[in-house]
Amino acid sequence: MSLKNILENWSHYRRGIEQGGHHKYEHMWGMALDLNKCIGCNACSVACYAENNLAVVGHDRFAKNQVMHWLRIERYWDEPDLDKVSDSTSQYQEHGASFLPMMCQQCNAATCEPVCPVAATYHTPDGLNAQVYNRCIGSRYCSNNCPYRLRYFNWFSFYESSWPAPLHLQLNPDLTVRDKGVMEKCTFCVQRIRVAKDKAKMENRKVVDGEFQTSCQQSCPTTAIVFGDMLDPESKVSTLWRTHQVELGKTKQAKQNRELRGYRVFEALNTEPKVMYMERVREV
Amino acid sequence: MQTKDINEQIKWAQINKDVLSSMENPRMAYWVAVAVCVAMIACAAAAVGYVYTTGQGVLDLYWPEMWGLFIATFIFWIGMSHSGTLLSAILHIVHADWRKPIYRFAEAMTTFSLMTAGLFPIIHLGRMWNLYWVLPYVSDRGIWPNFRSPLAWDCFAIFTYLTSSALFLFIGMIPDLAICRDNAKGWRKKLYTVLSLGWAGTDRQWRHFRKTYLLMACFLIPLAVSVHSIVSSDFAMSIMPGWHVTSFPPYFVAGALYSGCAAIITLFIILRYFFRFEEYMTIPILEKTCKLTFVIAMAWSYLNLIEFAATWYGHDAAAKEVLWDKFTGPFSPYFWAMLFFGSVLPFALAFEKLRRHLPTMFVVSLLLNVGMWLERWMIVSPTLSLSYHPFAWKVVWPSMVQWAVVFGSFGWFGLLFLVFVKVFPSVSMYEVKEMVYHRRRAHEEDQAKIFHRRTSDPQPAIDTPSA
Amino acid sequence: MSKHRIMGLFSDFEQAFAAIADIRANKIHGVSVDDVTLKSPIEHPEIEEVLGERPAHVPKFTLMGALFGLTFGFLFLASAQATFLVQPQGGKPVVPLPSNFVLTYELLILFGVAFTVISFFIGAGMGRKRDTLYSEMVSLDQVGVLLEVDESKAQALKDLFKEHKVVEIREEVAR
Repeated sequence: MSLKNILENWSHYRRGIEQGGHHKYEHMWGMALDLNKCIGCNACSVACYAENNLAVVGHDRFAKNQVMHWLRIERYWDEPDLDKVSDSTSQYQEHGASFLPMMCQQCNAATCEPVCPVAATYHTPDGLNAQVYNRCIGSRYCSNNCPYRLRYFNWFSFYESSWPAPLHLQLNPDLTVRDKGVMEKCTFCVQRIRVAKDKAKMENRKVVDGEFQTSCQQSCPTTAIVFGDMLDPESKVSTLWRTHQVELGKTKQAKQNRELRGYRVFEALNTEPKVMYMERVREV
Repeated sequence: MQTKDINEQIKWAQINKDVLSSMENPRMAYWVAVAVCVAMIACAAAAVGYVYTTGQGVLDLYWPEMWGLFIATFIFWIGMSHSGTLLSAILHIVHADWRKPIYRFAEAMTTFSLMTAGLFPIIHLGRMWNLYWVLPYVSDRGIWPNFRSPLAWDCFAIFTYLTSSALFLFIGMIPDLAICRDNAKGWRKKLYTVLSLGWAGTDRQWRHFRKTYLLMACFLIPLAVSVHSIVSSDFAMSIMPGWHVTSFPPYFVAGALYSGCAAIITLFIILRYFFRFEEYMTIPILEKTCKLTFVIAMAWSYLNLIEFAATWYGHDAAAKEVLWDKFTGPFSPYFWAMLFFGSVLPFALAFEKLRRHLPTMFVVSLLLNVGMWLERWMIVSPTLSLSYHPFAWKVVWPSMVQWAVVFGSFGWFGLLFLVFVKVFPSVSMYEVKEMVYHRRRAHEEDQAKIFHRRTSDPQPAIDTPSA
Repeated sequence: MSKHRIMGLFSDFEQAFAAIADIRANKIHGVSVDDVTLKSPIEHPEIEEVLGERPAHVPKFTLMGALFGLTFGFLFLASAQATFLVQPQGGKPVVPLPSNFVLTYELLILFGVAFTVISFFIGAGMGRKRDTLYSEMVSLDQVGVLLEVDESKAQALKDLFKEHKVVEIREEVAR
């Protein structure tokens, strides 16, 4: 029976991403992040902690990098010439910091997926890079093979120490608390996606763009984060990608026009990330 | 100066006696060694227990360096396992008979270092109790392991290699087990009677034995090469700078042979000294092994240079950065130590005076393996700590818990080996006899001509001095 | 007429070789070289010169095992992947050939080795009870020549053995 299955569907089973892949995508959730608008306030990161039951690991473990912030704000002082006025002796500049919020890029050709020995991470028909906590055995290969370093490991059981009573009452009931030994990462707030999809299904309609927001998007004071379905050509995120001429399957953007600020991180690695960043522009 | 590989006039009864007596009456030193190994294992077991009651975090692994010493030591042990079976099989196929006195313990080393290596991927798992999910078993839920993952390949490769090399060791030992059976008493007699499977040395048994052994040798050579290539795929198949290197499979295989050969030299000297195997583990055989090690060391150094050159001229900024960090960054002392032990120290093997000096060779072989262990660490850690994303650059020294498990693994290997040398003959008696017999015959001209012929071959023309 | 089983133990392989050569040359009428069993402490491939080429079928089974591993391995992997469609990964096809080749290669070797070993155990008759005429000297340094002959030929055979400086002759009446 299986043999028949293989023979009949052989050409279909041999389709990689270059041939369109195996999936028929229902949605393809994507993001666009305007770094011009990002002020590095960390509200998104905090919102993510609250929404996704992220454990607070404490000072010592944070210092050892045993931390689990699905969305992190990276600070770079890569423009030292902006700090001419400062006379401080601190190792960091007074002016000219730039911020890069990094959450899972939900790559369409994710490098973390094929290396998991037990298939605990896979690509959903929603275009999400899903992590099945129950299936994870903690080999940590996915994290090692993520060029963005966006996967975090539960080094300890945090569920007792991280939310001492009555803090456990603030946990989000829509998703689990992870135990030690499993990998976790940003899900694009899959629980909110699920609710929106179910609601749309009950009302027998399609999910409307902007019907729901991810928690980081919701908490961003400057609306730097735009989230939506990239299969819907009218959605905000599709429009932004189109405007900045960033496309899936294309690894280099034309940069002649200075208005085109869009890029994806490590495009050249062919991982097909679905988060587009718009470069920061400085007034010099 | 001894130049012959073996004393050809040695009596066969003497061979039996020497080897069988090595299996009896353990001396005080043996029990001390056993106690030390058990203590080392206890140390590792306590560390593993601590990890499992608290969490992997106590290893001081961290984001993004998630593998650390465990995987480095895993590769080290897998590498160590390579030379035993691989060299034994290659030398068997090319009829290099000097392998005969030393291959048994080398193959045992293979099996035991695989048994040690196999523990590390299990220990390092976050949820070890779910290990069986990696196995391809049929489940009601239709869930399979991910055959795309190099870790699943590891699982297949190590299983195949462990099975095959253990069988190779066992099959090659059957005639010797029959010798043990004929000379043993008590529980040993029972054990060897079962293990020797009724071996009586009949022509039928030898005929099948010969073919089986040769065929297994033929399988084991490509198998051993593939196993370490697959282990290298854990890195080469990834996308990370410093790991995604095309030359990794041969580089790993060369490194594996290298550390295995060095370990053979170490164990050779230990066995020769403690079991007084001077008649079998002779200096000329040691010299041959040393020369082989030297050649492999040079091949390894060459592949190292290839890797540097390819990275340098490849102009991949991230890969270059990682390489440069190895040379100058926080890992540089270990990196330079690795290059010294791996590429400079083996030149000691090039000098006959040093090769024939056992204490020197003992120290050198140990240091070569230190270098090879550092090599594995330098493959795993720098890439993880210092890769694409500058924000994620961080180096934390591994905690004592990690070191304890690494330390204990040597005790585990040592204990297995110590049990082996007292339960099984560590020198192949029947093959030493063959070696002696064939070498003696080779000197007799007429005999040499009719040697190894079949009935169907044309009769040799034996020169008779014309009248 | 009862059958006798006779084993001559020789201290030297050359003498056993010569004795079998004599049997092959029909020195004793009615005793065939095909009845000879040689027992030796080491492998003597050159014995085929007088013993004749006797079959060992191990390589055939090895080939069978390898081919089985090859086909079974690939089909097993491919069919497992083809029933596990919920998990496409990393933009790879459902049946990725590179990884299946690697795993099929391992399975080829695994089954090749397994069939080889099993056929060795069967072909060499391992695991059976040892012959009652087994001598422990055979595992040390003597070579045994075992024959099963009619009672009438027994004396002639023993004489032939003695001619070749046999060390010891063991004999029993076959049941």
